[in-house]
Amino acid sequence: MNVTNSETKTTRTICGYCGVGCSLDLVTRDNRIIAVHPDFDGPANQGALCVKGQFAYDYVHHPDRLTHPLVRDEAGQLQRATWDEALQRAAQGFMDVEQRHGRHAVYGVASGRTPSEANYMMQKFIRVGFGTSYIDNCSRA
Amino acid sequence: MSNPLADMEKPDVIFCIGTNMTEAHPVAATRLKKALARGARMIVADPRRIRLAEMADLYLPIRVGSDTALLLGMAHVIVREGLADSEFIATRTEGYDELVDHLQEKTPEWAESITGVPAALIEEAAVLYGSSDKAAIYYTLGITEHICGVENVQSLCNLALLTGNFGREGTGVNPMRGQNNIQGAGDSGALPNNYPGFQPVDDAANRAKFEKAYGRKMDLEKGITKVTALDQCGDRIFAMLIDGENTVVSDPDQEHCIHALKSLEHLVVIDIFLTETAELADVVLPATSWAETDGNFVNTERRIQRVRKAVEPPGEARPDWWIIGQIAQRMGMSGMDFDSPVPIFNELCELSPIYAGIDWDLAEGGQYQWPIPYRGHPGTPRLHEGEFINGRGKFSFTDYRDPAETIDEDYPLWLTTGRRLESYHTRTQTGRSEGINQLLPEETLEVHPSDAARYGLHDGGWARMSSRRGAVDVKVETTRRSPQGTVFASFSFAEVPINVLTGSGYDPITHTAELKVCPVHVEPIAEGAKLAADLVGE
Repeated sequence: MNVTNSETKTTRTICGYCGVGCSLDLVTRDNRIIAVHPDFDGPANQGALCVKGQFAYDYVHHPDRLTHPLVRDEAGQLQRATWDEALQRAAQGFMDVEQRHGRHAVYGVASGRTPSEANYMMQKFIRVGFGTSYIDNCSRA
Repeated sequence: MSNPLADMEKPDVIFCIGTNMTEAHPVAATRLKKALARGARMIVADPRRIRLAEMADLYLPIRVGSDTALLLGMAHVIVREGLADSEFIATRTEGYDELVDHLQEKTPEWAESITGVPAALIEEAAVLYGSSDKAAIYYTLGITEHICGVENVQSLCNLALLTGNFGREGTGVNPMRGQNNIQGAGDSGALPNNYPGFQPVDDAANRAKFEKAYGRKMDLEKGITKVTALDQCGDRIFAMLIDGENTVVSDPDQEHCIHALKSLEHLVVIDIFLTETAELADVVLPATSWAETDGNFVNTERRIQRVRKAVEPPGEARPDWWIIGQIAQRMGMSGMDFDSPVPIFNELCELSPIYAGIDWDLAEGGQYQWPIPYRGHPGTPRLHEGEFINGRGKFSFTDYRDPAETIDEDYPLWLTTGRRLESYHTRTQTGRSEGINQLLPEETLEVHPSDAARYGLHDGGWARMSSRRGAVDVKVETTRRSPQGTVFASFSFAEVPINVLTGSGYDPITHTAELKVCPVHVEPIAEGAKLAADLVGE
């Protein structure tokens, strides 16, 4: 029998699916989610969760998760890259396009799934970087 | 939502239109069930006989895309029957007399001729909604994903203004937001027309404020929407940064969308999986998932709530805010070097009047619903109490328009699209959840049995469904949830890319696609004859 000394930890957070915003506790052990418990005092859900919020968390640990940056090579294939290489390639590409086509040639699409801090950074990236409002989020489709 | 979620237990009359709440917002629907158990009455208008329709006192089976006609007919009856709230109209609205003139011809019989709902049912619904003390409207994308999405919403507001159903417990006009932080994305300024906090970009004072805060000159003109940007790819738009959106599967007219992204000179995608969209990118940057990040989400009732990191991300995945800041710094931008989400959120609060009363620490408890205009303000669970933000509520003189495409001999069936309980959007997450895949392993096309017989389809067999833009193959499920003449499928399965078919038109103001209406043709096929669903191949 395997004996584990690891401790179970509970983290209060908000469901990542729809816009209702159910409060829940993530129960974790060994850096993995092992259960989701509803928050009985959650202002939006009062202890309720749906089938997605209650059970559909195993994607977090799915082997398909991206674990390192990818950069397209000259043959057209996405290849593993270091963060430094990938960030430099990303930045250089935007600078090149701005130089060739002007600052209205760059567009940002923010996510309805990421925290507000990511959305704020996306709009600031476009506004500080290019002086435009060429930014939207995925609420129109 | 104008009113808090807790108010969903309080109405005397509930009017749900274009919302499949028991599937798309199941936990919110439990609140409505409590209201019904308490004795509230419910009106449901939807083309499909969904679960909510089964629970309703009055079910109005409208033809897809005819919502405005139904709502005008209801408004006509409310005025005609003397159910309008004259005190509310006199003190809080403008344009009533013009509205009465405008509604003159919008009789329930006129509405019946467009919606297919019997005039007597429209009258009954109007009287039920109009004569209750507390009536609340709930809607979702069945209202907005039309070429007339704006008119639909304005027509709903007319009903609430006519009957004084704003600014009180158990009332209001309440859109249910679909994604965990779609509200927060707008709040944070990820919009072409607004700076953070919904401050219009074409206002010179707002521009001056952000030019000072951000240290650079800024356009006074609005930006363009994503729909316009996709149209201009390879023509005027040559680079995109896409964060956490599977555009290729979620957006209408898939072939157009793939072509647009392929015509860019530079595409950078930040995501947690190699989505169909990421596969087209020049650079793919691995982000932390929801369980691996700290920040704030804003829910459908404008409540700001903390998300907290519970596990370490896999491999080298990093938070979205860090990734965006790193690209920016390599481009020489200033003010992008944050070392945690805390100062980012605090900067958003400082620049946004609706968030002025809070910061990261105050948001910790999740008790604030914006607007929170100053420190010490308790937040605003219920909007429009006492007065509207812009003074008086304006009636809108809306009119019915046909959908962008209507059925004809070649495309004789209406397709409407939507969501299912078990899967979420393009299944990048739920499709990688074992239990969910057992519950809902594949997509089906919901067809009324008489339509199935008419077009030679059978339950469990395969159909090829075509629109003016493309074709997909899908398994058939015969069901009376679909009315005769209308079929339904979700857009969630990449293997059955329903958005190959959609994209007939867009609302001219919001640029929201008419994903709810698409004339199609269906024919039976042998399973072996299926089209290959190779999304991004050449």
